Amino acid sequence: MISDSIANASIAMASSNPKDFGKKKRANRSAKLKQCKLDARREQWLSQVKSNGGCKEEVHGGGMTHGLPAGPENGRRIPIEKLELKPRVEGIYGEMHQYSDSESSPSNSPTSHSSSELGSNDSGANFTASSRSSSSSGRSSSSSSNGCFSGGISDEDEGGVGDDGCLDDWEAMADALAATEDKQQEHIPNSGLDSPPSEKHGGSTKYGSQLSVKDRPFSGDDISNAKQESGGTAIQKSLIHSQAWRPDDAFRPQSLPNMSKQHSFQLDSERHFGQGGSVWGCKNVGPVPKSCPICYEDLDCTDSSFLPCLCGFRLCLFCHKRILEEDGRCPGCRKQYDCDPVEGEATLDGGSLIFRLARSCHMTTTS
Amino acid sequence: MVDFARVQKELQECNRDFEVSGIRVVPNGEANLAHLLGTIPGPLGTPYEGGTFKIDITLPDGYPFEPPKMRFATKVWHPNISSQSGAICLDILKDQWSPALTLKTALLSVQALLSAPEPDDPQDAVVAQQYLRDYQTFVGTARYWTEAFAMISSLGVEEKVQKLVEMGFPEALVRSTLESVGGDENLALEKLCST
Repeated sequence: MISDSIANASIAMASSNPKDFGKKKRANRSAKLKQCKLDARREQWLSQVKSNGGCKEEVHGGGMTHGLPAGPENGRRIPIEKLELKPRVEGIYGEMHQYSDSESSPSNSPTSHSSSELGSNDSGANFTASSRSSSSSGRSSSSSSNGCFSGGISDEDEGGVGDDGCLDDWEAMADALAATEDKQQEHIPNSGLDSPPSEKHGGSTKYGSQLSVKDRPFSGDDISNAKQESGGTAIQKSLIHSQAWRPDDAFRPQSLPNMSKQHSFQLDSERHFGQGGSVWGCKNVGPVPKSCPICYEDLDCTDSSFLPCLCGFRLCLFCHKRILEEDGRCPGCRKQYDCDPVEGEATLDGGSLIFRLARSCHMTTTS
Repeated sequence: MVDFARVQKELQECNRDFEVSGIRVVPNGEANLAHLLGTIPGPLGTPYEGGTFKIDITLPDGYPFEPPKMRFATKVWHPNISSQSGAICLDILKDQWSPALTLKTALLSVQALLSAPEPDDPQDAVVAQQYLRDYQTFVGTARYWTEAFAMISSLGVEEKVQKLVEMGFPEALVRSTLESVGGDENLALEKLCST
């Protein structure tokens, strides 16, 4: 029943969505602008490095893990957004939502959130929610509970239509995703993704939900403000998002169950490996060897995104360092790792640093 | 310290396609992989054809970042190989070494050197002079040295096998060991004892 109440809440809150969605979009737009700037700057920086593709891919790959888990739950996104926004209109809903947020999250099971179940739960959910709202606060009038009920019904229709629209229109989808990004971060854990990575979200999630709960009673703009304040993470996430969706959108629904697992380092790096490889393939550098041709040790993902010489000869960072300490010539073409590679080497190290930072950044935003 | 993991893998890979390349690298004596013995067949169509040339390989501490030290253990008459010491004048064993090269590729290069002497950059001045001034004599001398020092006479092999079998080693093992060291009885004995 508690989970029902959440489903209901998300549905019931939906009534005021068009306006709010507009605001949301505006906020999202400014966030996207920042995003673009950041992105451009990063690209600028990385473009000096030959292996920036790999690093970038890594960043996006990491981001993808954020975006993809919500794939089939698209249907829920809009309602969630509505849910978030609705409380401006009526504080009671905010309280109720707060209540359900805090209480229901532990008991939520993933299945309770599939859209079909959501739909089937609707009527009962609405009922309990309205009763709860009335019980939890004496101020709630029968009209408000009615409103809640009607809101739930209308949302059921709207939700279906809106979902289809979003699924059809990928740009709108991306906007919505970016807009709901941090909201999702709040709700994904509530929605009971059982994977350990989602537990990593715990910290930020709680914080996020508390934040939104606090904001809610004040004014409608608070959420967008909050979003602005958390711009750093929000931007990064949405940037990650818009980039990360593209390659995978075709099979996204199928791969969805795995996505929560993709928070794990291993899969991340594998993904990076593959994408980095394809990027390098585009640059006509050839396939990435599995092991270092010098020491015969396996190349890790940092090594395989490391391209110190234009001739395309790859080696592990250890051997590269060793060679630089001696004559500093590429083993593949015997040319000096000259100023370009030397500079490149420094920036490459920087690049790998970025890539590591990006990852840790990613971790800190999520944990 | 020599990267023995790499050396081990190199030996495996090199000996795997021995049938094709005819090049073999085996540990020389001690269990230490820093001393190896390579064997290359004399290239066809040269005075060295039919010979099996043993090359003494010493891996420096910096290997593979430093070139392996190679020296002909078999006497050979060649402008770029010292007829006295067996020292090899080959750029990839000196300044043109690359860590991407391996013992096998280095031995292949030595084999290529046998078929393509560079008398203008000699190791052995006498041989180089002869090569430039009297090529026919050079070919004759090279052929003689090959037959004298690089060929395993079948008679000799049977005698060696016999001797080693009498020492108590199984015959099949003796034959394969003798083959792997290029027919040298003492090397074969060392190897048999070390295994």
